[in-house]
Amino acid sequence: MAGASMGDEGENPIAINVTPLVDIIFCLCVFFMISFKFKQLEGKFDSWLPKNKGSAGSVQVEGILDEVRVAMFWDEVAQKTVRQLRTRRVDDDDELAALIKEAHDDWVKMNKPETPVTIDAEARVPWEAVIRVMNLCKRNKIDKIEFALGAPPPVGAK
Amino acid sequence: MSKRRKVPTIKEDVTCNLIPMVDIMFLLLLFFLLGADMSQREAAELVLPTASEIKENEKVKTDDPTTTVNIQHAQGGDLGKCPLNANNGYCRLPDHWAVVIRGREVPRELLKDQLKAEADETLETDIDPDAKVRLSARKIIIRADKAAPYGDVNKIIEVCGLVGIYKIEVGAAVPPPK
Repeated sequence: MAGASMGDEGENPIAINVTPLVDIIFCLCVFFMISFKFKQLEGKFDSWLPKNKGSAGSVQVEGILDEVRVAMFWDEVAQKTVRQLRTRRVDDDDELAALIKEAHDDWVKMNKPETPVTIDAEARVPWEAVIRVMNLCKRNKIDKIEFALGAPPPVGAK
Repeated sequence: MSKRRKVPTIKEDVTCNLIPMVDIMFLLLLFFLLGADMSQREAAELVLPTASEIKENEKVKTDDPTTTVNIQHAQGGDLGKCPLNANNGYCRLPDHWAVVIRGREVPRELLKDQLKAEADETLETDIDPDAKVRLSARKIIIRADKAAPYGDVNKIIEVCGLVGIYKIEVGAAVPPPK
């Protein structure tokens, strides 16, 4: 019997040579196996920009209450991000989340739950660090997050 | 007188039954065929930052105008391999980071024109004409590498605001289960 055929020749007089079929399927299998990639599960944060304003100024500070502004700087020497809320530097995520919540709750008590958390990060700060702060805000059920932009250059400036 | 032993002859052919193998190969082929993603991917290969509070992607409607803007480390080419990025460091060189839309790198000076063209393709229709604002119905998904400089993401958000795109989503990865 030439090659490998299916079935018994006695029952089926026309033997089908399946060897080329197996070869092709094997090649296809190898191709798809090599090109196969498990997808990373992705999600997103909705961050709708305000429709009626551009880069607005910062929130008006009322009384002694400070706005909720998380400042982020890039430490070139240590290659890490330094985070600061008001005057306090915070390394720990849980501590920062607690401080953001505390600061935001002060605004909620003043009947201003819409007060945003402003992320004021330096351009060199890794995106990962910004996402982490956004994540902490979302964990505290704070949906309104603003990104501070650099002030536009004055008119006529080169 | 010596007796000669008769060597038994094998009459039946020893054939390998390939049918189970073909069956398994077909199943494997089917699995890889269905699992393979042959569509033109808007999403570039990059490491997204992880976030536990994100909304998982629902099925994207085909009529939903969406543009994915990727910010990735530009490796290879004239720049060569960046040792800092290759060792999971934070490369801060602005030239090493590229904005990629539909697989093509968009120079920073052309980013506004590109996004404006995208925005103008689908404008919001239900806007009060007295408001005199021009808003785009297009949604922008920003997929930035976890090590990408925030300044690049900020720039895209700023340009989106300038060209009338207000629907912005930032991509993140679901953290692996503990």
